[in-house]
Amino acid sequence: MGAKGTSSADKSSPTTNSSFSIKELLLRGGSLVGLIGLSLVFAVLSPHFFTLSNWLNVFRQVSVVIILASAQTMVIISAGIDLSVGSLLALGGSLAAVAICYWGWSLLAGALLGVLVAGLVGLATGTIVAKGKIPDFIATLGMLGAVRGIALLITGGLPVPSHFTATELTGYLPAGLIWLGSGDIGGFPVSMMIAVGVVILTWFILNRTTFGRSLYAVGGNREAARASGINVDRVKALVYAVSGLYCGLGGLVLVGRMNSANALMAEGMELQTIAAVVIGGTNLFGGKGSVFGTLIGALLMGVLANGLNLLNVQPFWQRVINGLLIIAVVVFDQWRRRVLR
Amino acid sequence: MVTTEVQPMILLKNVTKIFPGVQALDNVSLDILPGEIHAVLGENGAGKSTLMKILSGIIPKDAGEILLEGKKVHFSSPAEAIEAGVSLVQQELSLIPSLSIAENIFLGRWPVRGLGIDWDKINRDTQELLQRFNIQENPQTPVENLSVAEQQLIEIMKAYSRPTTRVLLLDEPTSALSEEEVERLFGLLAEIKKEGKAIIFISHKLGEALRVADRITVLRDGKKVITVAKEDTSEEDIVFYMTGKRFKRSEPEATGEQAKKEVVLSLRNFSSDEFSAGVNLDVYRGEVLVIFGLIGSGRTTLAQTLFGLRRSKGEFLLERKKVHFSSPAEAIEAGIGYIPEDRRESLVYDLPVFANITLASYQKVARRGILNLDWEYATAQKMIQELQIKTPNIFREVLYLSGGNQQKVLLSRWLVSSPKILIMDEPTRGIDVGSKFEIRNLVKNLAHSGITVIYITSEPLEALEMGDRILVMRNGKVVKAIDNPQETTKSDLLALASGIS
Repeated sequence: MGAKGTSSADKSSPTTNSSFSIKELLLRGGSLVGLIGLSLVFAVLSPHFFTLSNWLNVFRQVSVVIILASAQTMVIISAGIDLSVGSLLALGGSLAAVAICYWGWSLLAGALLGVLVAGLVGLATGTIVAKGKIPDFIATLGMLGAVRGIALLITGGLPVPSHFTATELTGYLPAGLIWLGSGDIGGFPVSMMIAVGVVILTWFILNRTTFGRSLYAVGGNREAARASGINVDRVKALVYAVSGLYCGLGGLVLVGRMNSANALMAEGMELQTIAAVVIGGTNLFGGKGSVFGTLIGALLMGVLANGLNLLNVQPFWQRVINGLLIIAVVVFDQWRRRVLR
Repeated sequence: MVTTEVQPMILLKNVTKIFPGVQALDNVSLDILPGEIHAVLGENGAGKSTLMKILSGIIPKDAGEILLEGKKVHFSSPAEAIEAGVSLVQQELSLIPSLSIAENIFLGRWPVRGLGIDWDKINRDTQELLQRFNIQENPQTPVENLSVAEQQLIEIMKAYSRPTTRVLLLDEPTSALSEEEVERLFGLLAEIKKEGKAIIFISHKLGEALRVADRITVLRDGKKVITVAKEDTSEEDIVFYMTGKRFKRSEPEATGEQAKKEVVLSLRNFSSDEFSAGVNLDVYRGEVLVIFGLIGSGRTTLAQTLFGLRRSKGEFLLERKKVHFSSPAEAIEAGIGYIPEDRRESLVYDLPVFANITLASYQKVARRGILNLDWEYATAQKMIQELQIKTPNIFREVLYLSGGNQQKVLLSRWLVSSPKILIMDEPTRGIDVGSKFEIRNLVKNLAHSGITVIYITSEPLEALEMGDRILVMRNGKVVKAIDNPQETTKSDLLALASGIS
């Protein structure tokens, strides 16, 4: 493969070939090239695609996925995987809504409660993974079910606020919460700004803090990390706690967008986040990756869904295309890695 | 030099390979004759491994020709190379631990009888092979029960026994073997050679290459320097070809001033689960204490126990204070560093050079959890200059560095965190002569600066050269403490270590 392309008997200098080519562009650009390419295709096919309002719409739709996928990026870089993100989001969002609507808590107190409890449950998961020496996949798979169940218990399986209770109490979501999910500042969605803020925060954690460095080290070579004095168990426990906090925040945004909390919201979102992380070029086996890649991965999936909607493609077909996209991207990524070696 | 009468088994013409930023092979031409053992020598990054990978179809060449028995060949995968008769035995073993010797040797080509696998034939053929090469093992023994050395022999046999094999490529076949085991391996190679097959092997051990090879080719910076017959050269010449420099053999010298004799570490009845007998020992500040022992003697276990990687029993005094480490983090905190035998246990390959250099100290220099990147970059820059680590820059992933440079990265990690005691397990294993000299000198400088070094090795000459004192281990016990290595010989050490006194 590509033997013809590289055998340009270049004996003069051993430096890299700096000439421009499509192959080179694909190699270096990765999923960003995919995102731009896909956007161009939709722009040609639909006049509505390249409008500001449509782009803001895409952002509004993927903002929650971006928040959760940022958490997933950190977990996957540490060679773990968090299948419980969707459930934690439901728990955090539901708990906050119940506290505010039914228990009469203030917006701030309720929101904090939701985020902190999600964080604590994440910490518990992480501790189980680290101390119980069980695979991340199993621990978080268990939590995926258990946490969703707790969210259902808290809400009684009903939307919050619901018609039954709303008559007895004040029971409506405060405007501040709705603003988080649906509000605008100067025409730009608040949820989008939160998502971008989360991505920047995650970049900072990964690249500027000892915790971030430890995540790469533990994910890249657990034994080496331990032998260099890194407390591997603590890092593992903490990354799930941080993931939980992110999920809690995502829950608030989603409740705000839907105007209601629901214990069954964000079902299956764990898979969307994993897909975004993988499309973004993060190594599923840990040690390598970036949150900006994840941002692009999430946007790519959002643009695809949006474009297909604009083109009136049947939702059933959208699922098929989405699934195949993930496979195609990973195949592409494998090729890229092989060639870059 | 090329004999015209015999057709070469393999002929390389102007083979060239370029990696981003480095010309790995530059117009290399080479002939390998049937029935020849041909050693390829060179420093790290000289292009030895690249050559092997091209010959075995792991990576494609960029230009040039390869002729196998006069016919032009192009391998685009290892399978094609094997099909054509070129088999590679890799440095890292590729055996499947839980499968038996026989299953491993015939892996991928298990003979079929009816609907099942012909186990009788596999075991019978394996038995014959083992007998022929004088290996006393049952074909059905799982490979994981064998020593590293025996696994290596099985690996070679696996490649050899493929019916098409005409050329065997060996990458550092002796790096994990003791002297005795090396002898056995060479016996086996001599047998294979008699059948007219060609053997190419890469080694860092010049003495061995000179002993076993018929001809030697030296590479430097991707270019062929020379191909010589064994008779026409010497170890000193080869070192010169490899490095372009003349080295003096350094004389053993007393490093730390024995007069001070300040005990920095002392063990009383110290043991882990692996070695039953307790170890008693005092280590003095600024000395190089060599622990000499063969594979399986418990030397590595002792090191790991000192570093908190294994549970310990008994008394461990560090600067007269009783200590007990339940994790490496605690050992590091107390001032102990450890470089394991296998670099893969210690390097994070996907992290850049600088992050690997600061891996044991980035937490210490950080403030409130925020990395001190200025310090990290500056420190890494300083280290790659001081140790002459060959890397395009400090942001290159360690993965792309050669073995010797990876080892230097590891060494600088501990130079940066400046422990009181540094334990090094076979630090010069599998690296080239130039780096070997550098690393040994570095260790001596470390000792001069007051850092105590516990230096584990299975090479007797290295033990004699490096040690202020030598501790010989066998079967998990310290069998002898030698205070004056000057009065000991290589054979004394080997006798003590193998128990044939």
